[in-house]
Amino acid sequence: MRKAKAKGQKRKANWIVNLVLGIICIVWFIPTLGLLISSVRPAADILQSGWWTVFPHRQWDTVSQLKLDRDTDLRKPITVNGKTFTDDQLKAGVEDGNQRLIWENRRARTLDVQEKKWGASTNFTLQNYETVLGGKQYKITQPDGTIKTEQGSGMGRSFWNTIAVVIPSTVIPIFIASFAAYAFAWLKFRGRNIFFIVIIALLVVPLQVALIPILRDYTTLGLNGTYFGIWMAHTAFGLPLITYFMYNSISQLPKDLFESAFMDGATNFTIFSRLILPLSVPALASISIFQFLWVWNDYLVSLIFLGSQPEVQVLSMSIANLVGSRGNDWHLLTSAAFISMLTPLAVFFALQKYFVRGLLGGSVKG
Amino acid sequence: MKQSKLKRNGSLSLMLVLLFSVVLSACSGGNSAGTTGSTQTGSEGTTGTTATTSGSDLIKTAQVPAGSDLEKALNGEYKGKKVTMYGPFVDADEQKFNASIKAFEDATGIDIAYEGSKEFEATINVRVNGGNAPDIADFPQPGLLETFAKAGKVVDVSTFMDADYMKKQYKQSWLDMAQMAGPDKDITAGVWARSSVKSLVWYNKKAFDEAGYTVPKTWDEMMKLTEQIAADGDPAWSIGIESGAATGWPATDWVEDIMLRTTTPENYDKWVKGELPFTDPIVKNAVEKMSQIWFNKDYVYGGRSSIATTNFGDAIAPLFTNPPKAWLHRQAGFITSFIPEGVKPEDYDWFPFPSIDAQYGTPALISGDIYAMFNDRPEVRAVMEFFTTAESLQSWIKSGGVTPPMNGTPDDWFANEQERRMSEFVQTAKTIRFDGSDLMPGSVGAGTFWKGMTDYVSGTANLDQAMQEIQAGWKK
Repeated sequence: MRKAKAKGQKRKANWIVNLVLGIICIVWFIPTLGLLISSVRPAADILQSGWWTVFPHRQWDTVSQLKLDRDTDLRKPITVNGKTFTDDQLKAGVEDGNQRLIWENRRARTLDVQEKKWGASTNFTLQNYETVLGGKQYKITQPDGTIKTEQGSGMGRSFWNTIAVVIPSTVIPIFIASFAAYAFAWLKFRGRNIFFIVIIALLVVPLQVALIPILRDYTTLGLNGTYFGIWMAHTAFGLPLITYFMYNSISQLPKDLFESAFMDGATNFTIFSRLILPLSVPALASISIFQFLWVWNDYLVSLIFLGSQPEVQVLSMSIANLVGSRGNDWHLLTSAAFISMLTPLAVFFALQKYFVRGLLGGSVKG
Repeated sequence: MKQSKLKRNGSLSLMLVLLFSVVLSACSGGNSAGTTGSTQTGSEGTTGTTATTSGSDLIKTAQVPAGSDLEKALNGEYKGKKVTMYGPFVDADEQKFNASIKAFEDATGIDIAYEGSKEFEATINVRVNGGNAPDIADFPQPGLLETFAKAGKVVDVSTFMDADYMKKQYKQSWLDMAQMAGPDKDITAGVWARSSVKSLVWYNKKAFDEAGYTVPKTWDEMMKLTEQIAADGDPAWSIGIESGAATGWPATDWVEDIMLRTTTPENYDKWVKGELPFTDPIVKNAVEKMSQIWFNKDYVYGGRSSIATTNFGDAIAPLFTNPPKAWLHRQAGFITSFIPEGVKPEDYDWFPFPSIDAQYGTPALISGDIYAMFNDRPEVRAVMEFFTTAESLQSWIKSGGVTPPMNGTPDDWFANEQERRMSEFVQTAKTIRFDGSDLMPGSVGAGTFWKGMTDYVSGTANLDQAMQEIQAGWKK
């Protein structure tokens, strides 16, 4: 009987967890859905009505029009069909039963008589995606007067640039951090604790303070605007967290395992490559996702160290530039954001079975 | 025994790390070629040998000074050199800029590598202080350049550009605006290479003519027209000042334009320098003039409350609905890129923001881009000299969207009549003044001035409170 009660409590707890998770999902999902719907609507429609109007809803539809005398003074009470209204009322719309009276054109003095009907905005287009993927077209008059249509660069180039930045920037720090984590967890050397504390302390240093000093060094070394430079920058900025994360995972492995391996004459490198790496796959997978997402979405570090020359420009930068110098093409951001989301989503789903397991890796001490 | 084992293992890992880094640097070698350094003489620059335009006859609108670096460049002396540029042009502006410099690149063999970023204002500081300054940077706000000039980072262009030549190329007011305080004396901090006229009121020409309205010449006529349009049933003005973090800037342009028309240019200069406070009756008077239109619910589309929530770029759209929902819109020349698709240039037009007090006339409020030089090399000098000529903007002027600050642009280059008249307006205006908020320190011009105007318009602050709020920015 006690067992049944415990089960009941557990069910209740589950119910609360599910509710909270459900709310979080909805809060995150609805704006994303709105973004997706906006991305397939024409720019003019986005300006005029919200994305939710694509779902069937009750809306005012004009059934007939009334024409007032052209000389009606708008600043005096206006008489329509024997009833008197003020101009402000007619601007906002006057509801009468199931009908509404609202200005259609004040200048021509016409009024709309509207009724509520079911309707939905069903005007969809893939134009935004085409423009973002294929590049915008610019009509430019040449010095000799001929008009040439320039095809702006699409996202293809910056997509591959981003891949070239992200993969090494994910692999290198994880590679180095795993070695470091092993050393901190299982090797005894002088100053181990101090080094470790320094690394942990670096977690709280904001990377912004390092921008100008590093940029100076990069200028001396000629690393600005090179892929190698940005790999090193991302590696350095990512190392403290990754080392800490990997340390937590590796230090939890049972000690007996290494002792017996040592007895059998295994070197540290053998232990690392044959025992530690296979056992830390879940941790490696989840920290890869973190680092991958961080670098993929990064704007600041690439802006400073890589710059926005078209041959090295990354996705986040080309998306920001899409809207134009004065933000005139902001509607393109909707589809660009979706395209940019696809790769991280694919990576996430590919690694997600390790993800949940790995999340625990840093938190539970056995 | 154990210790030696550890040692051996240690050296093995060290070797591994070393090996790894060697592999990495080998990989990076290929990538870094062609992207580092600005002095590099790569093979990319020489593609211009099959130039369609020969160097010597490229510049027609100006007399190329004999013996100048520009002349040497046109003779092909700097072939294969690379000049880096950094600025805020992206998207269409970047394309037009690149199209405009192409003939020069072909003729001289100099490669101008332009890099555009929307975060220019934020990153130029990091770039310059990090020792990674571009050869030439394009400043849309002279106030920002002033700090670099003061710190001695900028090359004084008067050291290689002759004063007589500059006088031929620019009106005196442009040259005055390029004079900035250097570390020990005043320097010419750069050359003006692009401008935009702000004192423009846009209208839907077709509908305007059909309704029988006439273009107002004075403020009183404009108020009469506004009243007439209101009586006819429409709000005359469409106004929007929303612009994300920069919300409020279009309101500052209105105040500046009215200031120029209600007081002397000297007072305007004092105001910009902070010597005439915002709480002064002169400034308050200007803001009150603006409020006559802005706060009248019959005059503004959507009423006062919609001003602060309407995006500045969307505010032109109501002029081009059929029938128009609003009739007048005050904005700089760039607004043509926001005019809805399908509206042809002959369907719209502009008139100068009218004179309020006859003695101050109809001044032109302008903004522009000043190009400053950070690295002194002969080919960079040549490129800077090129930017003083109308040829450096040729494609851009012909494609539309820019007003040349330099003299000598032939009339037939302009994309349409409206743009030609903009240029004429600037060239003939008795008084030209630069956008004040771009000259004020950032804490005011890009801070409390925007914020205070927004508070005033949305009604959270009255006139006195708003002016005190803005003035407080000077103390920061």
